[in-house]
Amino acid sequence: MQKRYFFPKSQRFPYGALARSLVLLGLILSLLFPAGCTREKKSDTTTVRFVTWKPNQPAVWDEIVELFEKEHPDITIEREVGPHSSTAFHDLLTQKLKNKSPDVDVFFMDVIWPPEFAAAGWAMPLNELFSAEEQEQFLHGPVIANIYKDKIYGVPLFIDSGMLFYRKDLLDRYGFNPPKTWDEMVKQAGTIVAGESKKGADIYGFSGQFKQYEGLVCNMLEYILSNNGHILNPDTGNPEIAGDPAVRAMQFVRDNIVGGIATGGVLTYEEPESIAPFIEGKVVFHRNWPYAWEVSNNPERSKIAGKVAITQLPHFSGGKSYATLGGWQLGISNYSRNKDAAWKFVQFLTSERIQKLLALNAGLAPTRKALYGDAEILGRYPQFSEMKDVFLTAYPRPRSPLYPAISNTLQRFFSKIITDPHSDIAREAKAASREIEKILALTR
Amino acid sequence: MFALSLIAPCFLFILTFAFYPIAYSFFLSLHRIIISLPGLEQPFIWFGNYKELFHDKIALQSLVNTFLFVFTTTFFELLFGLAIALAINKHFRGRGIVRAAVLIPWAIPTVVASQMWRFIFNDTYGLLNYAFFGSDTALYQAWLADPLFAFLAIVAADVWKTSSFAALIILAGLQTIPDELYDAAKIDGATAWQRFVKITLPLVKPALLIALLFRTMDAFRVFDLVFVMTQGGPADSTNVLQFYGYKKIFAEGLMGYGSTISVLVFFVTLLISLLYLKMIGTRLFGERS
Repeated sequence: MQKRYFFPKSQRFPYGALARSLVLLGLILSLLFPAGCTREKKSDTTTVRFVTWKPNQPAVWDEIVELFEKEHPDITIEREVGPHSSTAFHDLLTQKLKNKSPDVDVFFMDVIWPPEFAAAGWAMPLNELFSAEEQEQFLHGPVIANIYKDKIYGVPLFIDSGMLFYRKDLLDRYGFNPPKTWDEMVKQAGTIVAGESKKGADIYGFSGQFKQYEGLVCNMLEYILSNNGHILNPDTGNPEIAGDPAVRAMQFVRDNIVGGIATGGVLTYEEPESIAPFIEGKVVFHRNWPYAWEVSNNPERSKIAGKVAITQLPHFSGGKSYATLGGWQLGISNYSRNKDAAWKFVQFLTSERIQKLLALNAGLAPTRKALYGDAEILGRYPQFSEMKDVFLTAYPRPRSPLYPAISNTLQRFFSKIITDPHSDIAREAKAASREIEKILALTR
Repeated sequence: MFALSLIAPCFLFILTFAFYPIAYSFFLSLHRIIISLPGLEQPFIWFGNYKELFHDKIALQSLVNTFLFVFTTTFFELLFGLAIALAINKHFRGRGIVRAAVLIPWAIPTVVASQMWRFIFNDTYGLLNYAFFGSDTALYQAWLADPLFAFLAIVAADVWKTSSFAALIILAGLQTIPDELYDAAKIDGATAWQRFVKITLPLVKPALLIALLFRTMDAFRVFDLVFVMTQGGPADSTNVLQFYGYKKIFAEGLMGYGSTISVLVFFVTLLISLLYLKMIGTRLFGERS
């Protein structure tokens, strides 16, 4: 029987042509890929890859990196800029670390991440590099936040804590002192908004961060603590959001802040959205982190430069002011191939000199105690001497390797009770407590 | 043998890029894997995650949200898609430009489109507020702050974006209808409405069903719109299944549980597509035989 071919003999399958096109394809690919993957690089320099978020003041960071590269000609810094939101940045960074990516050397850690990064084995323990004496130079709170099971995993670069920014000019006009209690703040806002609206001004009482994300937890924590409530009981570690003080504080937020003096869009605000109406001059009181000082006093970006003042967050009567501890640390990846160079960069960034630069030019509050006595910084930011006390007492969020899961539960719960004015806060709080207990049970 | 070797690359491709991830997700979903607690190791827990999933009220709510999203978006997309397709099937001057313009929303990457819609719905500088209330800023609404409006906002964004895709498929169906049918109907005295109901609709039905199939499966996997516009909020009103799964895996590090959610999404999509395929299949072949 004659052998049958798929192609008539005259047009037998064109192996030759196939081979030629494969070779061509290979050539094209080989031209494309190295060009895409590896960058031209001087062979005698080490590259340190720094995963950072989108900064509020990019120019300062460019300056700092340039300075480092000039002083360390053998090290090149390659920045990978992630999203501004802490939650989104977390997802991006952990995705890389989960895959043991060698493309990460130095990274930023939010104050709540070290336990997670340590337990997962992503962050390198720094005890041998970051000595106990050296740790003494830093504020206590941020250092503690970097310790997990007796080892330290990050060096705090700047500290954040919630603060109340207000329009000094408006408060003066109506003869008000900065509010001590939340009730006082709501009343002052009511008077000022009513008065200014009569003159045709488009103004609201308050803006803060109440979108369903990490910032919501920070904001709510401040109300709850300042009414003697807790998220987790500091002694037993059990959830306490269903407790009476916490529930009353949340009720206040729903009725008088979100449903009262705040801008209508406050439920969709992260930091950038919340500061926008403030620097437009449309808000009297604004809760934010220290960087907002620099932004709101920058005449290029702000219509209220020079009219802003800051003070401690208010509290409920019978309570005490609390600010949520925030801030960012630098960690080194366990999978980094250039740990020595990475440490040099971390050391440089957290040095007194650079922290001072960041304080002066970006408004970031230093973590080194000594800088709170620095004449130049205090000359520029007289409020820093007062703020040191706020920083010293700033309250940490729950420290757990499963904090992201706890936080997601809290975000969902807080968002629900402040968005839906008919929801039963106490009942929702009990449900959220049960969920948090379930998460905590995994780590016990 | 030669035939086999020819399909082998394609087969391998599907095996590595479609089958393997699904199988691996399923494998992961049978374990308890918590990234930030390596000390727990990764115990095999049979269907423990599935049991937990069926008792998870948030997952259930996000499943309901997802179905609501699928129903509303596919309904409006097919409706608008049909309208657009009918319009651009007519002969008029500049039809080519209009046809191209209709496709623009579909050609824009979803993330970019979502960002645009987020700006449109913004409470202080959003276009929507300006369109409704002009410069009377006192009336400005924070659309994305309201659970119902936030949900409608992601529906609107999706309808805007993918109606043209439905239109494209329906247009292809419309073009297979011979003009003679309409001419004959006209001679018989059929009105425009009668021609539409008796000729256009029945003949374009297969295309409509295909558009429906694609849109349902696609809508069920909605993620980017939610990620950019609302992050699932406010009050979880826009939390859809895919986003919930993403949160579990990427934010909370619950690999096993998150994979369980992905597997659920996979099975629901599979079920929907099998159902539709059966419908389309019988209809198409039923008419032929």
